[in-house]
Amino acid sequence: MGFSRLAAAITVLFASAAACASGDRTFERQVPAQAHGVVDISNVSGTVVVTGWDRPEVSVRAALDEGVERVDVSTDHGRTTVKVVLPHHGHGGDADLHVQVPKDSELTVSAVSADVATAGVTGVQRLNTVSGDITAELGGSDLELKSVSGNVKLKGHGQPARLHVSTVSGDVHLEHGAGDVEAGTVSGTLVVSLDSARSVRARSTSGDVHFEGKLVRGADFDATSVSGDLNVRASAESGYAYEISTFSGDISNCFNATPSERGHMPGHTLQGTRGDGAGHMHLKTMSGDVQLCDRK
Amino acid sequence: MSGADERKVSSLRELSPAIEPARDLWPQIEARINAERSTAAPPRPARARAVPPRWLAAAAVVASVAVGVWIGRSLLPAARPAAQSPISASRANFTDAPTALDVAYVPDPRYQRDRAALMKTLQARLAALPPPARAKVMASLAAIQRAKQDLQNALGKDPGNALLQELLVNTYQDEMRVLTDVHEASDPGRGI
Repeated sequence: MGFSRLAAAITVLFASAAACASGDRTFERQVPAQAHGVVDISNVSGTVVVTGWDRPEVSVRAALDEGVERVDVSTDHGRTTVKVVLPHHGHGGDADLHVQVPKDSELTVSAVSADVATAGVTGVQRLNTVSGDITAELGGSDLELKSVSGNVKLKGHGQPARLHVSTVSGDVHLEHGAGDVEAGTVSGTLVVSLDSARSVRARSTSGDVHFEGKLVRGADFDATSVSGDLNVRASAESGYAYEISTFSGDISNCFNATPSERGHMPGHTLQGTRGDGAGHMHLKTMSGDVQLCDRK
Repeated sequence: MSGADERKVSSLRELSPAIEPARDLWPQIEARINAERSTAAPPRPARARAVPPRWLAAAAVVASVAVGVWIGRSLLPAARPAAQSPISASRANFTDAPTALDVAYVPDPRYQRDRAALMKTLQARLAALPPPARAKVMASLAAIQRAKQDLQNALGKDPGNALLQELLVNTYQDEMRVLTDVHEASDPGRGI
């Protein structure tokens, strides 16, 4: 036995001993499910990892610490429910869930401080956390995501879908999205990269908004912030008409257009057209700076 | 009655049932009334005299509200101190008292009622959140409060600015969204 194998064996031995000493338990359960059924998962603390597969069943594996009472798994009329149950009294504990679901399932995950990750799910996803982070792979169906303070990372494959993302203070990173995007945050940062966008609505109070992507013909783009900066690099084959206004921020662009002032009143505006002007772009801030470029 | 026509009446039945007056006095009376009207001051239009006092009171109230809103929009924000102390700012974060601009921009009573209900339970809801999330939410609510304050101050300088008005309305909506999210996130009956 080589040194590395011996070290690995010792590590596993100690990990098992530690798990037994801390009262950790494991849980496994498989239930039949419909290919296009509904799967609801809830957990308070720990992790929730969901992956899509081709089998018509839901498989649940969990590691539970001593503060967790049990895991309930039930299925009824195409709806499968996986719920981590905590005791009524006590501080509760962590549960690490790994759930495999039919890939076309309609998935709903609710968590408090548990981190959530999904991959390979092509059905509609609804993901909610309070403080847990969310990492999700977009599968071409709609996504509705809400987090209070958790950070969000989304990765798509350029398939159009309706994406609705909102956080209070969490940052949002979206890569290779497409279709219709509505994203809002109070103090988090929005970083959005879209392969092809039909409509974009981005709103923040104090967080910055960064957008990079390509707009389809006739796309609508609307971004507002009170004190956050707007940095938009949007190309469009058929161009767009743009209208930028800010009360006390600065406006800059990569095509040498000069903003105009509002007479004796504070504020700047910049209006014009790039290309054929088929799309529409509105960027507004109170004190945030605005940058617009028509090249990615 | 003179002597030949004079006769003694012994019973009421002996009198004629209808006795016409010797001459019609009404034409003279009417003419006299008309003459008095024509010599008096010209009458005020009937519509003006018919305005009931309650309409005048209502108009006065509307005028008072308009002036109040104008004062709130143009004077109060500018009169506020530009910078608050951290303590007073943190106290202001969770105040429920509507400002003059609240009245001017958010007149919907349902909104006011819903917001008041959410604000009433906010402290308890925040206490139910995990401590790191609680701190971040409080920071975000403070950011919203600052944004409202900044927008109100800016509107005090430029009351008719449509951009600022739109951003202020957005900020009110965002505040409601955060309050609702916190309410739902800390509600044991929802989702978890």
